[in-house]
Amino acid sequence: MFEITDQPLDPAPLVEAVHRDDAGAIALFYGIVRNENLGRRVQYLEYDAYPEMAMKKMREVADEVRAKFPVLEIGIVHRVGRLEIGETSLLVAVSSGHRGESFEACHYAVDRIKQIVPVWKKEVWEDGSEWIEGHTPEVPAR
Amino acid sequence: MPSVSVRLFASLREKVGERQVDVEVPEGADVRALYRALAERYPQVRPYLETAVCAVDEEYVTAAHILRDGDRVALIPPVSGGC
Repeated sequence: MFEITDQPLDPAPLVEAVHRDDAGAIALFYGIVRNENLGRRVQYLEYDAYPEMAMKKMREVADEVRAKFPVLEIGIVHRVGRLEIGETSLLVAVSSGHRGESFEACHYAVDRIKQIVPVWKKEVWEDGSEWIEGHTPEVPAR
Repeated sequence: MPSVSVRLFASLREKVGERQVDVEVPEGADVRALYRALAERYPQVRPYLETAVCAVDEEYVTAAHILRDGDRVALIPPVSGGC
């Protein structure tokens, strides 16, 4: 299950999507909106995305995860639009036969999502706002 | 002369005030030439172009990538999704 949506995220369908009878573990990661960053009080976040490419890159992250870890299923959903403090922006779920792989794979997936998936957040403070420049995606050498 | 449709996001979209712009570039132009054309038309985005990566047909490309008519081009500022 891979999705970019402007609706509130529900973990239940995602967990269901990665669940299998041969799974002994499911790791579920929530990315949530924090009320401060670098000492500034955040009022809310606004997420923008290039949806078609973000979907493609989320699938690419999943392919990388499968190549590196013996996982069973992986699902990623990202929310866009305005998100209030405490709301969930990202859900990643990974199932595996044993717990170790799902923890590691989930951690890796979140790191890669933040590096290559074209999604952006704008922090809005009481006295201004700024699009956060995170990671410059690597460009394949030709 | 190919006309390239360029999608803009985040900081670039706000600075230009459009989600998409059409830019005419010379035949055989590369991504670098597209950046030059955009910087000329929208001087306010120059600092943002310096950190943006180009994507063609939903894949990241180098500045030397040659643009073709009908390419789905997007400018990707440093990404900051997740949490």
